[in-house]
Amino acid sequence: MSLMSLGIVRGFVWQIAGTIIGIVFAVAMRLMMGMSPWATEPVWVVAILFGSMGFLIGVGSMTDWFKWMVGIDTPMRHGPPKGKPAWTRYFGVDYNHKVIGIQYTITAIFMLAVGGAFAIIFRTELARSGLQFLNPGQYNTFIGMHGWAAIFAIFIGIGGMANYLVPLMIGAEDMAFPRLNAFAFWINIPAIVWLLASLYHGWDAGWTLYPLLSTRGEPGFQFVFLSVFLLGFSSILGSLNLIATMLMMRPKGMSLFRMPIFCWGVMGASIIQLTATQFIAQSFLMLSFERTLGMPFFNPDGGGSPLLFQHLFWFYSHPAVYVWVLPGLGVISEILPVFARKPLFGYRWIALSSIAIALVGFLVWGHHMFTSGYANSLRAPFMLATLLVAVPTGVKFFSWLGTLWGGKLTFPTPMLFALGAISVFLLGGLSGPPLALVGSDLFLHDSYFVIGHFHATIFGGFVFPFLAALYFWYPKVTGRMYNETLGKLHFWIMTPAFWMMSVGQMSVGVMGMRRRIADYDPMLGGMTSSGLSAVEIGQTVVTISAFLIAFSILLMIYNLLNSAEVGALAGNNPWRSRSPEWQIPSPAPEHSYATPIRVVGEPYDYGLPGSTYVTMATAGDD
Amino acid sequence: MRQSSTDKRHFITVSVLVLIGTAVMFWLLDSALPMPIQASIQAQTVDQVFQWTLIAIAFLFSLVVVFMLYTVIVFRRRRGDTGEGEHFEGNTALEIIWTVVPLLLVVLFGYIGVTTLTDITKAQENEVVVQVEGFQWSWLFTYPTDSGEFTSTELVLPVDQPARMEMSSRDVNHSFWIVEMRVKQDVLPGQTTVLRFTPTIEGDYKLRCAELCGLSHWNMLASVRIVSPEEYDAWLAQQSSQAAAITTASN
Amino acid sequence: MSSATTTAEAYRTQLRMNRMGLWLFFVSEVFLFGGLLATRFYLWGNTRPELDQSIGLIVTSVLLLSSLSMNLSEKGLEHNNRRLFLGGLVFTFVFGLVFLVGVMVFEWGLFPAFYEGHLTPGENVYGAVVFAMTGMHALHVITGLAFIAIVWNLGRKGSYSPERHWGVESCAIYWHFVDVVWIFFYPALYLIGHVAH
Repeated sequence: MSLMSLGIVRGFVWQIAGTIIGIVFAVAMRLMMGMSPWATEPVWVVAILFGSMGFLIGVGSMTDWFKWMVGIDTPMRHGPPKGKPAWTRYFGVDYNHKVIGIQYTITAIFMLAVGGAFAIIFRTELARSGLQFLNPGQYNTFIGMHGWAAIFAIFIGIGGMANYLVPLMIGAEDMAFPRLNAFAFWINIPAIVWLLASLYHGWDAGWTLYPLLSTRGEPGFQFVFLSVFLLGFSSILGSLNLIATMLMMRPKGMSLFRMPIFCWGVMGASIIQLTATQFIAQSFLMLSFERTLGMPFFNPDGGGSPLLFQHLFWFYSHPAVYVWVLPGLGVISEILPVFARKPLFGYRWIALSSIAIALVGFLVWGHHMFTSGYANSLRAPFMLATLLVAVPTGVKFFSWLGTLWGGKLTFPTPMLFALGAISVFLLGGLSGPPLALVGSDLFLHDSYFVIGHFHATIFGGFVFPFLAALYFWYPKVTGRMYNETLGKLHFWIMTPAFWMMSVGQMSVGVMGMRRRIADYDPMLGGMTSSGLSAVEIGQTVVTISAFLIAFSILLMIYNLLNSAEVGALAGNNPWRSRSPEWQIPSPAPEHSYATPIRVVGEPYDYGLPGSTYVTMATAGDD
Repeated sequence: MRQSSTDKRHFITVSVLVLIGTAVMFWLLDSALPMPIQASIQAQTVDQVFQWTLIAIAFLFSLVVVFMLYTVIVFRRRRGDTGEGEHFEGNTALEIIWTVVPLLLVVLFGYIGVTTLTDITKAQENEVVVQVEGFQWSWLFTYPTDSGEFTSTELVLPVDQPARMEMSSRDVNHSFWIVEMRVKQDVLPGQTTVLRFTPTIEGDYKLRCAELCGLSHWNMLASVRIVSPEEYDAWLAQQSSQAAAITTASN
Repeated sequence: MSSATTTAEAYRTQLRMNRMGLWLFFVSEVFLFGGLLATRFYLWGNTRPELDQSIGLIVTSVLLLSSLSMNLSEKGLEHNNRRLFLGGLVFTFVFGLVFLVGVMVFEWGLFPAFYEGHLTPGENVYGAVVFAMTGMHALHVITGLAFIAIVWNLGRKGSYSPERHWGVESCAIYWHFVDVVWIFFYPALYLIGHVAH
């Protein structure tokens, strides 16, 4: 078997070829138009576009569509590619949603490691005041890289969970548009390549990329703009597919309010992704055009406004935070009833609160801009709308407590992570009001308090639930059980460490530590008797915690890899769940459901004698 | 024999624990979040808002966590028990309560938020006006006087007199933040933004840029001196005569 | 159950799904164009640049005509009138091309030897927004033209039937959508507000 028969290798070769063609094309165009042949930025913009296209063609994600254009029918392919080992299907275009889900998830874990590595590097730098081993330029680039790498990990991780689980949970054969699904995944790969390539030139405006800082300086910015643009493309197409799947492919008897609750989280997230993503795509394109063609959207010298960018950016980026947490909260709601052996308390309320959070999320972007200088009269409505988010979020918390109350709880690793997620998300949610109230926000904005709040929200809303999901569905994906002892060890290292990290960040923030600074005043917060200043103690605690979290994640990666070989066979339904995906063999077969399923009861009626959720229809049953 | 989950004794125990938890949590938060000194009138308002939210945080946090830990301990599966949990699917009255009560809290905090916001930002009589210019990576302060204006690289303000910063940027976005004064305002190119505060304690402070503005953002500082009114007048007189001398010399 | 009814059933299911997908795509696109409109109103307020009104009116009328011919083409196919079907597509393509050339030559001044444009993208916020809005719309017109060309070529070879023509239907809906977008862009660019100097 030659290496070139792997789709991803072909993709990279084509990407390089496309990039070179793009450079040649751009230089030729410049010569034709009578300009000097080389200008780093415009040439690279063209090269990036050509290279990305090259990857998508080379990997084979568009082959079927090209055939359609000339009238060739392309029947659906099933199973591993012929004449090649089964594992090769994970490295090339495959239309099965379970394969795509695994591709997404592995990519997400890779990006999580990349993002974490950047964090570890500059966390080490920050443990003491003074510049140790990074210079300010590197530091500024790394914080932005940490941000975007982590955001890539989150979006791709959600794609992984949603792609693998949603069709299984609603008993569908596959997603509504399998080719589009594969395409949406593969766009992410060139996006990741360009994001990492941006390191070469560097870019120093943080992940928010506010102009006018991002419209001057290094060409690395262009790489980020276009990389994020591609990621946004993936988001839009993926969410379109998920919504269509959930609306059109549910089996007989599954009304919207009988879907497994995770689907509601995905629905809320997808509504945001489908719509708001256009705004960040647009705003980053505008940045790119401002840099290459000098179109002054944001530069006041040409009549533009730097504030416009912040509005466009946050109109997307605030709801985006709900994209990151809604599926995660869905995972929590999915796991609690299984291990409490009780119905999910207030299913409809939890389901509708996801949609409510998604919709209110469109009205609160201004709270990121309380200090930005827009009209004072706008601050109050944005403040009120922001506080309002607390109401549907509170419904979720209380309903979870109602689910646990009176249950018969057991605590395997997924349950521990679900409970840990609740506590961490609570910390994140409750540190929100001081930022939502303009008065205290004028103090805390752009300080480390925000960093603490934000990381608690995202760890509680995405990372912890994502890890819970990895452990929970691992037996279904691999057919084997992970190592429970290592799983629990992971939890008991990571959760206290995260707590220390988050509270530590809030603490130094209140002392006056600004975010995004390479070095800080050691005298913030005053001296302590230990000979270290208060802020240095705080920073050291945060750094140590970061290392502990990184170590625990490595432990998990080892556990998951190792258990795939040596783990005990899990059986079809090790958790005694009622959800349809657990009623089929593990690992899930190529065609998930041999016969269509039919929903005959409520999804979470644990403890109700004689009730079932789904039945597998037998032939002639119609 | 196991108690029913709706037994009153559960709720009495939990309520007591939540109250204890609130007190402990408030103490913990208060010590983990050490505020810098309050050096302006606005700082007092801001810290007051922050304290109120801390109380709410402490209460809501222990409400959820105490309930959760209680279920974890009391409702855990006993050895050898293979049964299912109690079967109840929800309770509409409860759901409505925990929608409406937080809604009322939101209204309360919204009210607090709006009144304190007006309080912090309202215009005052007798303001000292300073033109602030931010640029990569320094600050420049322009003081208008009777005999023209002069510039300074340090910000000097009289104590107990309202100050108004009229700010703009020469290049990229910056943000004006003196942590002891609490309040903060972005400084933008092509637009004038305003920040008001009333210093209350004489002393030396640091103005720091709070919005990432490039390579030396971390080091974009200016020293701030809050002085007595007499000292301030003396400083003004000295600076403006110096400025006048320079102008004459250059003419 | 014969296999013919099964495939007809499968086709109907797929068709319903395809329609849903296309409309979801439009929902998404509405936010893209909405964002551009928001940018226009944020930056220009109640002003607009000096644009050639007659050019604007002509290209808008041509684009509306193209929607009509597209509709005739689709109706033609539904009544198995392949002449009307293919002819309608050709007319739509030509109208679309005229629109595109009108914008590129006269609004953008892409060929200064032939016609000197009066706006440049980098000169100020008016040029920037005009180019952003018309550019994004033109990108969709170009995609639409490519779509029409593909459908025409397949239709010429005998694809599509009155019963099965999702390719034609989606092409037509997409084209109408691009038209509708322009109906919002035209007044925002040419009519609303007073001319700034």
